[in-house]
Amino acid sequence: MGPIFALACKDLRLLVRDKVGFFFVFGFPLLFGLFFGVIFKGAGSSQGAITILVVDDDQSEASKALIGKLTSAAEVKPIVATYDAAVDQVRKGERVAYVRIPKGYGESARRPFWGTPPAFELGVDPARKAEAGMIQGVITQYAVRDVMKVFSDPDALRKQTATAIEEVSKAEDLTPVQKGIMTAFFGALDSFMSLTLTPGVAATDGGAASDGNKEGAEAGASIGIGGWEPVRITVNDVRADRRLSSKPNNPMDITFPQCLVWGLMGCSAAFGISLVVERTRGTLIRLRLAPIARWHILAGKAAACFLMLLAVSGVMLVFAMVAFGVRPENYGMLAVAILCSAICFVGIMMLLSVCGKTENSAGGIGWSVLLMMAMIGGGMMPLFFMPKWMQSVASISPIKWTVLSLEGAVFRGYTVTDMALPCGVLLGIGVVGFAVGARLFTWQEGSS
Amino acid sequence: MPPVLTVSGLIKSYDGVRRAVDGVTFDVKVREIFGLLGPNGAGKSTTIHVVVGLLVPDGGEVRIGAPGGSSGPPTDPAVRSRVGVAPQALAIYEELTGEENVRFFAQLQGLRGSELRNRTAAALQFVELHDRRRDLARTYSGGMKRRLNLAAAIVHDPQFLFLDEPTVGVDPQSRNAIFENILALRERGLTVMYTTHYMEEAQRLCDRVAIMDQGRILALDTVDGLVRAHGGKSVVVAALDGREARIESDDPISELVRLKQSGPLRDFRLEQPNLERVFLNLTGRQLRD
Ligand SMILES: Nc1ncnc2c1ncn2[C@@H]1O[C@H](COP(=O)(O)OP(=O)(O)OP(=O)(O)O)[C@@H](O)[C@H]1O
Ligand SMILES: [Mg+2]
Repeated sequence: MGPIFALACKDLRLLVRDKVGFFFVFGFPLLFGLFFGVIFKGAGSSQGAITILVVDDDQSEASKALIGKLTSAAEVKPIVATYDAAVDQVRKGERVAYVRIPKGYGESARRPFWGTPPAFELGVDPARKAEAGMIQGVITQYAVRDVMKVFSDPDALRKQTATAIEEVSKAEDLTPVQKGIMTAFFGALDSFMSLTLTPGVAATDGGAASDGNKEGAEAGASIGIGGWEPVRITVNDVRADRRLSSKPNNPMDITFPQCLVWGLMGCSAAFGISLVVERTRGTLIRLRLAPIARWHILAGKAAACFLMLLAVSGVMLVFAMVAFGVRPENYGMLAVAILCSAICFVGIMMLLSVCGKTENSAGGIGWSVLLMMAMIGGGMMPLFFMPKWMQSVASISPIKWTVLSLEGAVFRGYTVTDMALPCGVLLGIGVVGFAVGARLFTWQEGSS
Repeated sequence: MPPVLTVSGLIKSYDGVRRAVDGVTFDVKVREIFGLLGPNGAGKSTTIHVVVGLLVPDGGEVRIGAPGGSSGPPTDPAVRSRVGVAPQALAIYEELTGEENVRFFAQLQGLRGSELRNRTAAALQFVELHDRRRDLARTYSGGMKRRLNLAAAIVHDPQFLFLDEPTVGVDPQSRNAIFENILALRERGLTVMYTTHYMEEAQRLCDRVAIMDQGRILALDTVDGLVRAHGGKSVVVAALDGREARIESDDPISELVRLKQSGPLRDFRLEQPNLERVFLNLTGRQLRD
């Protein structure tokens, strides 16, 4: 282990001191990320709204008005859909949530103080807690705002109160005690409003003041007074199966794996070239003269390259998380994907090291090969932008599998079985690449 | 004294046609400074590379042993740690400091802890680079790099040192220091094999010298032995009236006396036979064309 450690330390030190190599390992991928990050950030404001599906079972004026209000809301972007379609899309992970406006919503909106209001149904993936809470808040706010309108219209309210008293007396599902309390309450409310909310008083208040009243009423309502529940929302857990179709949570979810791939490519190129440099600068002679086995030399190079690949991955991950709010869905899977990718790129490094006899030819050939792989493998442009035939050609590129495994962990919600294919391919490339590269690596100067 | 290195019938060709080393046989004794003297392309470096196991010979055998111990091929790890090599082509990392270079090569030799520190410092002191040890090798002059190359060869205290033209580009002062140090190392029991195309170096440093040309060893003996056998006679070069006379003689003094008596002798110079002359006599060419 001693010589491998010494070899690896030496290589890491050399890479850090090699400005060009270091730039391609860290600088370029960061620039790549910043570039796309800024582009996506600019487009981000209009994409801030969560698209939700709205199922209108009520088909009343009130429900249509509610949809209208949701449309003008900044937080959400409603799309009307049928119930089945809505459930399906949420289950596939294509949309975050659906909201079902219940039958009888319009009816209950006109008598907000009494009777159990029919429940909204919010269908959302239990993993999306933050979004669920946000949508619940938005629905409550807009539905209650609708209800509260009655307060800014005293006449309508007084009419409502009268109807309420009448309905209470006729109601069969209320006990006599409840009937008594309710009748007394509505009676008191009626006389209270005849005193304070006379048209004259309301008129002097003016528009702005009545607006202020409205806000106050809303605040109270949303807290909920004494179990009074103007809007009921039942949450339906629709577990999204992301494999069916999975969307990134954040535009940078797509860019992060791509940046990382550039870092990995830069790293494997730097170390591949460094093995060529050992030969051209004559230091390979000294390594071969040392009382260590040849595999020690290659293992030292591989270990240094592997560590650097992990370091690059770590730096890129922190960068993506801090600068662009990327939140990988599964950190364990991400660790697996990064490990497998690093092993793959160690193999690629070994292959690159036998690409050329001089530093320049190795660098030139190495980078051309890497760029080709990046181009067809989705390292420059996400694969889904490409024509279908290109997407199938991409399978020959290790870049595709690297990106896929990383995406799997970041937003595709891959399970262990989903991960097996890309990770298996990556490990295979790593092992075969290393074996072939090590086999082709010429130790002697001047072949005989 | 028993030989510590035996080389027999060594053949090496790079292209399969022309032999860079063509049947070389010699041995090196313990605590000897053995010189390989020859012009560019003679096959000195190739010989060294085959001897230390960097190149596989096309024919012949190399065995390196330790005093009192067994012997083995140069690729044997036990042999390797007893051998230090300073290749002709500099083998150092330009982007590491002198100290980092030496320490790294010492680590590869298995040195640890305080031994690693002490040996690294000693090797740098040996080549007089201690003051510059914290500077990147890239910033060294050509001669300093050559000295660093030497430090990396001796850091693990080898028993057998192979130096392939260790003084190319080194100024006379540092060169003298290197010579003194090599002689000091020999006093400590080291055996040295040394290649050069400077006959003065071979003459001053080496106990025995092999004269090499076109892949073959033409002669091998002590410097005196070579001069006696192949150097020819001393030459008296005399400036007489209007002409220069070159007279070979076994007795140059009486020859001068004779010239003085026969006419005006304006100037004279005595050319003693040396390795240069040995080479000229052996090959018909100057050592440096
Ligand atoms: N790597 C190589 N590939 C092909 N031919 C080589 C190689 N190295 C040396 N040769 C050839 O082998 C012959 C011997 O070269 P070598 O380097 O051993 O000579 P040398 O005595 O060390 O010369 P110098 O004093 O210039 O160092 C030369 O003809 C040279 O052209
Ligand atoms: Mg040479």
